[in-house]
Amino acid sequence: MQAGAFYLFVAISAIVVGVFVWVALSTRHAREPKPKSVNRLRIWFIGILTGGLVFAFVKMFPRMPYPRREQKPDRVVYAVGMQFSWGLSDHPIRNPDEWQEATYAPPLKISAGSLVEFRVTSFDVNHGFGIYSPSGQLLGQVQAMPGYVNHLLMRFTQQGTYWVFCLEMCGMGHHRMRAEFEVVPRTAKSDRADDVKDEHYLALRQGP
Amino acid sequence: MRDSDPRSSKREGGRPPDNTFPIPAVHLQNAASVQKFQGVTFLWMIIAGLLFLAFSLDGYFLRMFQSRFFPTMRPEWFYAVLTLHGVGMVGLWFVAGMAAVSYLLANYIRPPQRVSWLALGGTLVGFTLLIVATTKGLFGTGWYFLYPLPLYSQGTWPSWATGCFFAALVAFCGAWLIWSVAMIAAILKRYPLRYALGWHYLSSRAAEQDPEVPPIVLITIVALIPAVAGFLDAFALFLLYLMQWQVKGFVANALLMKNLTFFFGHMTVHATMYLGVAVVYELLPTFNGRSWKMSKRIVLAWNVVLAMVLCAYFHHLYMDFVQPRMLQIMGQMMSYFSAVPAAAVSIFDGLWLVYGSRMRWTIASTFMFLGLMGWAVGGVGAVIDSTISINSVFHNTLWVPAHFHTYYLMGVVIMLLGFASHLGLEASGLEESRLVRRLVVTLFVIGGYGFVLMFFWSGAHSIPRRYAVYPHELVWGTYEARVSVGFIGIFILGLLLYLWETGRCYIRIFWTQLRKRQMGWFTS
Repeated sequence: MQAGAFYLFVAISAIVVGVFVWVALSTRHAREPKPKSVNRLRIWFIGILTGGLVFAFVKMFPRMPYPRREQKPDRVVYAVGMQFSWGLSDHPIRNPDEWQEATYAPPLKISAGSLVEFRVTSFDVNHGFGIYSPSGQLLGQVQAMPGYVNHLLMRFTQQGTYWVFCLEMCGMGHHRMRAEFEVVPRTAKSDRADDVKDEHYLALRQGP
Repeated sequence: MRDSDPRSSKREGGRPPDNTFPIPAVHLQNAASVQKFQGVTFLWMIIAGLLFLAFSLDGYFLRMFQSRFFPTMRPEWFYAVLTLHGVGMVGLWFVAGMAAVSYLLANYIRPPQRVSWLALGGTLVGFTLLIVATTKGLFGTGWYFLYPLPLYSQGTWPSWATGCFFAALVAFCGAWLIWSVAMIAAILKRYPLRYALGWHYLSSRAAEQDPEVPPIVLITIVALIPAVAGFLDAFALFLLYLMQWQVKGFVANALLMKNLTFFFGHMTVHATMYLGVAVVYELLPTFNGRSWKMSKRIVLAWNVVLAMVLCAYFHHLYMDFVQPRMLQIMGQMMSYFSAVPAAAVSIFDGLWLVYGSRMRWTIASTFMFLGLMGWAVGGVGAVIDSTISINSVFHNTLWVPAHFHTYYLMGVVIMLLGFASHLGLEASGLEESRLVRRLVVTLFVIGGYGFVLMFFWSGAHSIPRRYAVYPHELVWGTYEARVSVGFIGIFILGLLLYLWETGRCYIRIFWTQLRKRQMGWFTS
């Protein structure tokens, strides 16, 4: 998606720059634009611009990353951010001690192709839970906010080590905040969802 | 592109000489009122030029840090300078825009001169506190001091630095709120709200007594209403911070604080953008003798912008999935469709204003024209990023600084640098150097667009923003930052040339004024 967006940006920007250069060059030979043709051009321009935006809106609307009710995850992973590490666990992380335990635990193993729900929160400041593929491409993200749990649903098809980096500035160690998990071939034993309601999972420690 | 050198007419036979249009005078209708404003405007522009150089060097430092040029330096310095750069640049260009608009509006209304001096004082106090908080206290939360990070320093900055930073923000917002309200009041005194917003242009029963309203009045009102809302919002935010800091057991709601923060930031940045565009509406036509008068479509476009800008800020919170879904969708709709009036009216009109005209190209007119282009190109990047599904892979990557640096640095900043250049030339009576002019524009375009393009490229390659050091898994971010450093160097060179070229005008003005005073003393 990133490459497509970049090339779209370059293509439209090139047209914009081209128009500006053309207009600047037109000042070499003075001439008065005809108001009628200008208005006609404006109407076309508005039509194309509005049409393009409506098309993009409709086309991209279903791809919104927000979880839908009918989506049932194969696996639930609890993720808590604290300055400056991520704790990932199959079980709810309810306090800083459990968070510390989770940060030292071996990386989680997730079956390839399974739908994973990350339940993300923070025990201190805002963090950004950004998941990177083994090749270093950002696949999706959600904010980790104190007092709230954000649900992010992801499906990983490629096997390997995935990285979680912090994408919201959280202090001097922001760039060091990370975690990892592994996506492994699917086994007979399917991923199990350990479902706990958000209110039992919310941060216990709030405020400085 | 032609330039204003009279010799160039010889090369283009039959064309009237470039000096057909003298350096345009902005004070045509109310010379006395404008003259009153010259002193404070000169001062604002000198301060803006010098601070812009300082904050640009800050930015240079940031990209050098990410390039690993200072491997032994502590990352705290990166985050502190990042905070100084962000707040400094946004604040600086808001006040520069206000100063420029005050000067130009003096043609039509009586802008509050004393309040302008007060704002200058408040802003300088704010900048001093900000510099102390970040360089002495190493306060490093980014411009947006996202709740509750200022209260969780992890020992990086002392609590006095937090207090100093918030005192700076209070000084800024207090001064700017008073300035904005006073300016709105001054406009409304001459043009009641329905006239200031141009609603009488939409009515089919236009009366003869309805006044002609210049677009700069409408755009200034459209810029300042959200700005006032943003500053009031900021005070609510400060109050909640203060309560959490001082009242035991009080904990603010993180989602509410985030909404308040981004509303404030979004409004301030957009107000600045619109102030720059207001300057272009007023000044660009004076370079080719055409008119850019108020029309029904301009009124409609800017009223729509006013309604949309208040709701578009939700796009900053797309990745907060707990935010009500309808607000997210509204954020995308408003971000998408606010592009239509901007592109189809302001940018389109600006292009046709210049098309085929006998344009007098100076640094000022070229920068204003290029500023419109920067607004358009940055807008393309912004609209792409405002798509929720794309934002999930672009949010807080370098794509974000990419698009806002494009419409800020290559948009509003160069529009206002154009104004400063124009003001200096007009008041000093000096001629622009043709060679320096061409060099300045070339260096700005190559350096500026090279710099932002590297941001876009890195954003598309998933490089996070606000990282002092890139992890080894994303090591290409370091290499891309190094390329960027080269482009910033070119830009800074252009900026130094610009400051030299414009600075000599301001020095001439200063000496002329000094000599006049001395003559006055002798004769008295």
